[in-house]
Amino acid sequence: MKPILEVYQYSKRFDLHILNNKRINALNNVSFAVNPGEIVGLVGKSGSGKSTLMKSVYRTYLSTSGEIRYDSLRYGPLDLVQATDHQIIALRRDEITYCSQFLSVIPRVSAVDVVAANLFRRGLEREQARAQTRDYLYRLGLPEELWDAYPATFSGGEQQRINVARSIIARPRLLLIDEPTASLDQKTKDVVIDMITALKTGGTSVLCISHDPYTLERMTDRTIELKEGSIISNTLNLN
Amino acid sequence: MENITDNWLLKVEGLTKIYGEPNEKSVRKTGPLFGSNICPETDAIVACADINLDLFPGEVLGVVGESGSGKSTLVRLLYFDLERTAGAAYFNQYNNGVANILAESNQKKRYIRNHLMGMVYQNPKDGLNFRFSSGGNIAEKLIMAGNFNVGQIRERATNLLAQTEVPTQRLDDSPASFSGGMQQRVQISKAIANNPPLLFLDEVTTGLDVSVQAKVLDMIRTLQQELGIAMIVVSHDLSVIRMLTDRTLVMKNGRIVEQGLTDQILQDPQHPYTQLLVSSLL
Repeated sequence: MKPILEVYQYSKRFDLHILNNKRINALNNVSFAVNPGEIVGLVGKSGSGKSTLMKSVYRTYLSTSGEIRYDSLRYGPLDLVQATDHQIIALRRDEITYCSQFLSVIPRVSAVDVVAANLFRRGLEREQARAQTRDYLYRLGLPEELWDAYPATFSGGEQQRINVARSIIARPRLLLIDEPTASLDQKTKDVVIDMITALKTGGTSVLCISHDPYTLERMTDRTIELKEGSIISNTLNLN
Repeated sequence: MENITDNWLLKVEGLTKIYGEPNEKSVRKTGPLFGSNICPETDAIVACADINLDLFPGEVLGVVGESGSGKSTLVRLLYFDLERTAGAAYFNQYNNGVANILAESNQKKRYIRNHLMGMVYQNPKDGLNFRFSSGGNIAEKLIMAGNFNVGQIRERATNLLAQTEVPTQRLDDSPASFSGGMQQRVQISKAIANNPPLLFLDEVTTGLDVSVQAKVLDMIRTLQQELGIAMIVVSHDLSVIRMLTDRTLVMKNGRIVEQGLTDQILQDPQHPYTQLLVSSLL
């Protein structure tokens, strides 16, 4: 099977010019592949390079060396390291979504509209997008009285559910998701895991950072472990 | 709706503006490497030099930098408020993008500005005529774009004010009696009255208090989503840039020192100046 994502000899170094040109080697010569419909868990201690890797794929971080080959629906095989900013913008809209651990809230936009934005950006009619969003928020157990409120004042778990909902609602081809279940109770955790697994059935590939053994066990097909910026294991989960 | 295609709407090449008497070394001896935009030999001021950029339809491009970095000069050159020293700009909705709009006659520049562009200035006094009513200000833009039907103009002005949340019963009042936030919203109404594909926003939330700022930003975002207007947003405020833009240019001493996706600029800045800017302001 042809991988949808292939990270090849990728390294990332941060050059901090304003701190006496201090250099931080965050990732060293990392290579791995993700197959279509595969859920890959990224594990490792804090500071091992998991988020750096994910942000490199999303092109929030620029590369120091190496390639990130992505098999795009729109552009065909493409090195995300070399892609133009406009190509990345189009891919982020149509194919690749990133769900960070923290919701960056936009003032005066309701929870429903924060989530629905990713649907009407793709051309879905506004009310239709809102209806679909309400269904997701209902399934994620977000109290109905919060749907039209502004997420800036929400609790951590509520914000996280908004964040998860907005990243999966548009059914991306590649989902990059950072700690999707970290501050959720068991029941909501299961809902999120079921939603992500359902995406996989629809062909979505997932790269997921997690510290939670339960989430990893239930969801992932393969686990990649990072230590000090290098991959130390890449194993299929046989369950 | 966002409408980013693979074709540019505006293309800028080698845009340069110099005040005073430059010599052949003025551009070479100024810029971020020298920490100055004043020519050491002739005292000419290189407000901006060698600016290249592409803007796509429906795209929002941010321009950040300190005071005097040339960001306002850039948009004022493109809106024909200032005369360029050198360089070209092409606009694909004018003559199929083959004419350098900065080299056109004044009459043609007026046509482009009135039909294809809108500008919102930091100071509402620059964009509005305080001797006219707010409705009159919007009418002025519509008349310049060739609309002479009084009934239609009034209806459009009323709708625009409603859209930008200015009480419509104040249509006949001068913006001089409005609050800063309301003046800014009237200015935005005027700027978008002719349905331009391109809008310039120059420090539009500077000086407004936080809640009013959020309201203006939210309005700009909504207008962008619904009308798909491409925008160049000039601001020294990185949170404004983060909220509104897809891509960002960073300027210093009249030059672009870095450009990229906005989240990349904010989280993995490459140029020492951008690193300083991001670490100071976040």
